[in-house]
Amino acid sequence: MIRFAALALLACLLGPAPARASGEVAADFSLRDLTGQSVSLSELKGKVVVVNFWATYCGPCMVEMPHLQAMYTELQSRGFEVLSISIDEARQAGMVKSIAKRNGLTFPVLHDKETTVVSQYNPSKVLPYTVVIDKDGRIHAVHQGYTPGDEVGLKEEIVALLDAAATP
Amino acid sequence: MISPIVATLLSGAAWGFDLYGTGALSGATVQVNSDLEVRYHQNSDVLEDFEDRPLLLDYWEQVERLNLLLSKPGLTIGAQIDEVALFGNRYILETPDGTQELFHERDLYDDTVLSAWDDAVVVAEKLTFQRRWDHVTLSLGDTYASFGRGIALNIIKNTDIDVDTSIRGARVKAGAGDLEVTAVSGLSNTQLVSRQLPNVGIGDDVPHMVSGVRLEHYGVGPAQVGVHGVVYAFGRAADAELDGRNRYGQSVDVVVDGVSVDLPGVLGIDWSVEGDLFGYRGEEFATEGETGHVLYASANAYPGKSILLVEAKTSENSERLNLLTTPEGWEAGAVPTLEYERVITEDGSAAINSNELSGARVRWDHVVKPGALLPYVQVSAFRDEDTGGLHFNSTPENIGHVVAGIQAIKGHRVIQLNGGYRMDVRDDPAEGADRLAHVDGELHVPVGGHDAIELIVDARSFQWGVNPGQQTDFVELVNALAWHRGEKLVITVFQDYTDNPLINSEGNLSENVYGAVEVLVKPKPSSTFRVFYGAYKAGIRCSGGQCRSLPGFEGGKVSWQTVF
Repeated sequence: MIRFAALALLACLLGPAPARASGEVAADFSLRDLTGQSVSLSELKGKVVVVNFWATYCGPCMVEMPHLQAMYTELQSRGFEVLSISIDEARQAGMVKSIAKRNGLTFPVLHDKETTVVSQYNPSKVLPYTVVIDKDGRIHAVHQGYTPGDEVGLKEEIVALLDAAATP
Repeated sequence: MISPIVATLLSGAAWGFDLYGTGALSGATVQVNSDLEVRYHQNSDVLEDFEDRPLLLDYWEQVERLNLLLSKPGLTIGAQIDEVALFGNRYILETPDGTQELFHERDLYDDTVLSAWDDAVVVAEKLTFQRRWDHVTLSLGDTYASFGRGIALNIIKNTDIDVDTSIRGARVKAGAGDLEVTAVSGLSNTQLVSRQLPNVGIGDDVPHMVSGVRLEHYGVGPAQVGVHGVVYAFGRAADAELDGRNRYGQSVDVVVDGVSVDLPGVLGIDWSVEGDLFGYRGEEFATEGETGHVLYASANAYPGKSILLVEAKTSENSERLNLLTTPEGWEAGAVPTLEYERVITEDGSAAINSNELSGARVRWDHVVKPGALLPYVQVSAFRDEDTGGLHFNSTPENIGHVVAGIQAIKGHRVIQLNGGYRMDVRDDPAEGADRLAHVDGELHVPVGGHDAIELIVDARSFQWGVNPGQQTDFVELVNALAWHRGEKLVITVFQDYTDNPLINSEGNLSENVYGAVEVLVKPKPSSTFRVFYGAYKAGIRCSGGQCRSLPGFEGGKVSWQTVF
């Protein structure tokens, strides 16, 4: 009922609207990386992007990271990007740098210390939390949590999206 | 009337879709996330004169958190709807005149909350409108803010301890070149419906005014420089009836000014320093002194295969900022703790919330094999001069804490292990020292096919110094053994143990032993379904420099978390 009420409100602002089955447009965001550079999701349109939320206190996140790095190393030249977003609080900024360095991460590591991005994408703050975005900037899949072996299916998804052509 | 059950069924699944048409929102997409939980609370208490009916105080509770996000280029509109309902909460008694009257076992909310139902509440908890232009982002409604290291202002979504206080007002972030300015002003909006705390006697919050500005320049030579100022005007219980906007007309209680400088990569080291000054004006805050300060510094160095992190801080009267919000379960600002926060005890939380603490932490990581073999050692030392508030000690103390750990990954075999020892040595030898030994870790081992076994352990042993108020040493265990069947099924057995007299829960297997079973099914990667039955212990948990005692639980839970 709550949902219907919200949708009724939205309908007031719209014309007739057939539903579409493909993924939603990934909401744009800008965050600073660990060197202070600003990075926006919208800059990466045309690429397959994995947005990975993690935290220094999250054990499974630490185990998943090397696999993301391996995928990035292998597939970056084909148009694959990773935006790694730490949702640690501001006080942990030093630790975030240490963890990124010890895992040899070469993709951008962003710090969502104000929880403004995670609040939109992952309001329950499930960790790790991985959003796969296609070349059109639409959300293809979401993965909650990580168990060793999950990276196999994730890589298959990414490769399939890299093989697919973007919508003209 | 909407039945909570119907609401549950309608909101149990989540989905997303596109919007077409010609209106202002045409071309936008909508994403809906749902987080549903139905709990059966078993209560071991018995009602006086009803001792033969031990289940009388059991009850059902249902909590739903629905997030709706509409987005299109340059625009985001979000809403979080929280709903809670108590089931089996009603009974009918016959009055002396022969009529029947409906009663409710528990008051879900008090008279400050408006609801159409006696045992259900629906709250539009967070509402957000965000418009983005090339150099400006404007957010209206509920927003979050953290300046620098979060010392002056750190109001964020902290679901780790079930705290989601936002600033309901306006926030503007504007940038040009290397310059960026963030301004925020609004009233605190505390989360009403809890997911981990019992939803009984929910009351509306007393809003506090928060306004702040931070200016950052990312190109002052090699340095990134930020300056900020934050003012707070707190509401009091006595003026709870007043509209929150009155806070803008009252005198300011606390002013915090700060400056931060980051020097990334200078001499191969990432340097960072921040200093904040606290000015207290409100009557409650100024009784012990009118100012406070924090100085924090860190350095990350990367010699060879090693990663070195050194952090130091000194603070005085910084925690007084949270004098009025801590009882409400949240804090407006937090000094970096430098603690190993997985093992905070009732004693350790006193140091986190200390008003006079100095110390440092050194952490050394060594990359033996990148991504595969990563040991580390961490040493912390603090001087805690504060003996008031949460402290059990009556004289200042020196704290030393050593932690070591390792992460090893080979194929799908994973081991993560951390262990440490902490001593809080009080100045008065007659008071002795508190001692804490702890170990936590995870082991994941494939056992053939798609199966894997996972063992999670967390153990701590605490010994008090000479402490007239509390002298019972204790041991706590939080363990789990899980069987993973592929990616879609996990069956976990949980076992907790505690003889800590400071926590308020009782085991279901014996007085100190708690047991539970959970079945987790992931029909798709974005959807998690859990069925839990058993009990877990109460305990203190810290996040963001804030510690909160979370209650234990006994009973059953069914939860469903879906994205789209």
